[in-house]
Amino acid sequence: MALFEAHGIHKRFGHQVVLEQINLSFESNQLSGVIGPNGAGKTTCFNVLTGRFKPDRGQVLFDGEDITGLAPNGIARRGISRSFQIMSLFDEYSALENLLIALPEVRKRGFSMMRRLDADSEAADRASCVLARVGLAGSEHRRAGDLAYGERRSLEIGVALAAEPRLLLLDEPTSGLGADATARLAELVRSLKSDYSIVVIEHDMRFLFDLADTISVIHWGQVIASGTPEALRENKWVRRSMLGRVE
Amino acid sequence: MSVPILEIEGLVKRYATGLFQQKETFRLEADLTFHDSTIVGILGPNGSGKTTLFELITGSNVPSAGNVRVMGRNIHDVKYAERDRLAIHYHQSYQVRRYRRTRPSLLMQAAGHDYPIVHLFDEPQFNTQDGYIGFMLDFFRKLRAQGRLVFVCLHPNEPYHLELMEEVCERYVFVLAGRIRGFPNFGSMLQEPDIRTYLGKLAPSEAEHLP
Repeated sequence: MALFEAHGIHKRFGHQVVLEQINLSFESNQLSGVIGPNGAGKTTCFNVLTGRFKPDRGQVLFDGEDITGLAPNGIARRGISRSFQIMSLFDEYSALENLLIALPEVRKRGFSMMRRLDADSEAADRASCVLARVGLAGSEHRRAGDLAYGERRSLEIGVALAAEPRLLLLDEPTSGLGADATARLAELVRSLKSDYSIVVIEHDMRFLFDLADTISVIHWGQVIASGTPEALRENKWVRRSMLGRVE
Repeated sequence: MSVPILEIEGLVKRYATGLFQQKETFRLEADLTFHDSTIVGILGPNGSGKTTLFELITGSNVPSAGNVRVMGRNIHDVKYAERDRLAIHYHQSYQVRRYRRTRPSLLMQAAGHDYPIVHLFDEPQFNTQDGYIGFMLDFFRKLRAQGRLVFVCLHPNEPYHLELMEEVCERYVFVLAGRIRGFPNFGSMLQEPDIRTYLGKLAPSEAEHLP
């Protein structure tokens, strides 16, 4: 059984059908990619998977449990951690503080404890570890607002990791990044592959074809193709495109 | 004989201007039947009526005369909210559904299907750079293998547009100024002088495509 599955998801907004019979299946300890052109329904699909939208029809299963229509916090509590296409960091806080407030033990203790974050050396150690994991060692005390765009993206992934997820969802992690920052991000995601189950939604095909174990292609609100990058590359038209060219 | 997937019978759509003395500005006529699942290529210049034809098939545009039946059901007798379960119109990357409601849905027929039978792709954005063409063509083939009818409408302006149509389409329809003609294969379509004129430099040499 796959870790995370969607069966026959259908979502309509007024006249617009955005998702039509979406079937997806993401395995444990794999990096699964979802690609599709702009407007294909990728983000809506993600929003249904993470509980922001309720599907009109269909089922979302996490580790065998039906989580369709659960609120986002309910889904997050089950161990699905999501980073957003739009950055969601606290700019006034340091990189370390952004991670500290994402740690489960700190969240449990609530607001009163958060004001004395620095006093909790154990939590600070764990936050530092996460920071190092995403390649930001040494940036503990820099304000999130002062970090470069690519570093902010890494910090966001760190915030998602701090929650100790069973599944990490990344929504368009390369958006807005230049070639160098994208390459660094690819290295980071590659380094996380062995320890996490990851789902990445991207429009940058090349990024995913280099990293993913399996890829699903969404277009017209449907899964139009899926398979391993190697199998998908077999297609004559894919070979003719940028993806097929060997650098 | 079994019920055709799509039957377009005596279909006429006319547009006219003028309040008292009506002057016809556009007229589209079609008679086409598709018994089996097929991938159909539709070609024609902009404004020739390709999108109007699609709208008439999905029931989002009301014909002046004639009928469209999908799996034997007259699309205009099917509840508005369920028409897309029979025929679905994809405009570029979006799906289009706008129905002018002239009758109460309560009195209309159910679609009888959960997933559309006829898929109409209106000028899908084919780009050789990104590789999606391959996935799109495979999707058309998958729909066909499931017994569905697929229309791919294109206004070819690059040689690869014709190449991909020839690769994936089995039958062809050419639309010119509201006149609709069907062809059993790529070669027979290219025999038509009108089509060769329309394609201009893109038309392959006749020797390459004898029917």
